[in-house]
Amino acid sequence: MMNNTAIELNNVTVRFRIPHENIPTLQEYAIRWLKRRSVSYSDFNALNNISFSIKQGETVGIIGANGAGKSTLLKVISRVIRPTQGRVYLRGRIAPLLELGAGFDSEMTGRENIFLNGAVLGFSRKDIAERLDRIIDFSGISDFIDAPIRTYSSGMVARLGFAVATDVQPDVLVIDEILSVGDADFQKKSAARIFEYNQNGSTILVVSHNPASIRQLCAYVIWLEHGHIKMMDLVDDVINHYSSLLP
Amino acid sequence: MLEYDSANRPPPVIDEFIQLVRYRDLIFLMVENILKNRYKRSVLGIFWMLLNPLLQTIVLTIAFGTMFKSSLPNYAIYLLSGLLAWNFITQTTQYAMSTMAYGGGLLKRIYIPRATYIVAAVGNGLINLLVSISSLVIIIIFLSHPITVAWLFLPVSILILTIFVLGFALLLSTASVFFTDTVDIYQVLIQALFFLTPIMYPASILPAELAQLLTLNPFVILIEIFRVPIYANHLPDSGLIINSMLLAFITLASGWILFTSRADQLAYRL
Repeated sequence: MMNNTAIELNNVTVRFRIPHENIPTLQEYAIRWLKRRSVSYSDFNALNNISFSIKQGETVGIIGANGAGKSTLLKVISRVIRPTQGRVYLRGRIAPLLELGAGFDSEMTGRENIFLNGAVLGFSRKDIAERLDRIIDFSGISDFIDAPIRTYSSGMVARLGFAVATDVQPDVLVIDEILSVGDADFQKKSAARIFEYNQNGSTILVVSHNPASIRQLCAYVIWLEHGHIKMMDLVDDVINHYSSLLP
Repeated sequence: MLEYDSANRPPPVIDEFIQLVRYRDLIFLMVENILKNRYKRSVLGIFWMLLNPLLQTIVLTIAFGTMFKSSLPNYAIYLLSGLLAWNFITQTTQYAMSTMAYGGGLLKRIYIPRATYIVAAVGNGLINLLVSISSLVIIIIFLSHPITVAWLFLPVSILILTIFVLGFALLLSTASVFFTDTVDIYQVLIQALFFLTPIMYPASILPAELAQLLTLNPFVILIEIFRVPIYANHLPDSGLIINSMLLAFITLASGWILFTSRADQLAYRL
């Protein structure tokens, strides 16, 4: 393996088991067992033997239709699910911007939620305390920081989440749909921050349905179809093929 | 530099523990927030925690106190000490199960150690127990029941209970993710077990055959290990200590092994 590999997947398969009937209860299971009817399952591979490698500092887009496996791919990279087969390797700290404000508690204040969300992202309380002012400042909602989050607009929640997740430069940044956080001003500010991190060596992974924005941001593109890699190449080649298939 | 390699990690039994230690601040914050949320909006605030067991004891003492007047002097203390241990075990496990079954959505959105919710639920239950002990002390002083050196054993009793509760919560939470009706089945079982455990009544009123069966009820020794130093004012005998410790450690070991070996499937199942 090259030294500057940021993400590497070797023959990764993620298999979901779908029961044909819905049997989530012990009662149902017992009844079935008594009747000697075994439960039938079918397997569904959300990802099928995926292999690729991304070098540090590259920007890679992921495209594909709904159900092609894009979200599953991001989940397996960000460690939420473990691959059924194969190996996922990741170097450095990953900042998943898929779930801005994961773990936010609507009853708590913005300030308390910065600590909570920070802890969910794996930071210690001390870490967050040191960077609190900077986070509040970037979010631009310092006037409301001691009000409960339930009083926030969805834009404000997303801004706060973005500010916490990106306060420290991550080694890998995972973005779902090109960020549309908050108003035009904040969008500019967040895009600038992502761009700056990329300039400083962060690897960026973007999922999007919009070929134009992928073309703008990414150097390479992975095209997923039914859990397989249909194409992986430089952005222009893949997007041209992809767009030609769109109606 | 941080590295994540899905093919090369410590065995789950160890890995989960390492991750929990790394994310310890998250657990502390979760416990804090549970407490804050519960008591922030009520006028009486933390006094609800004191008031609740007090009221429960008063009602039950009025109802049953006269019945056991001769066999159980200071009935209120017998009752409340048993009740506190019982509530700690059942409420904590129920809470852990429901946060796992209904609130575990975060586990499939972002990586956090899988046992975070369960450990936080046990931490929360432990704080509730410690606060309610102070309402027990109020009653003890009010009834001028002696507080002796046997109280010094109480931290050990609480530790044994906590170890058991953590293991039991891990077992039940794993089951509740795979079978959602575990929560309901457990609820019914607990109601029945409450009357099969000597909490409201002395074990001596049971006929001999039934008393034999009672030794199969694991809750009996757990209630005893907590109640003896408070109510009977002497140390638990060595048999009781050893049995309850064995029960606690075996439960934790099996709960931990079961949970961590299934932890990877949680994100698929939740």
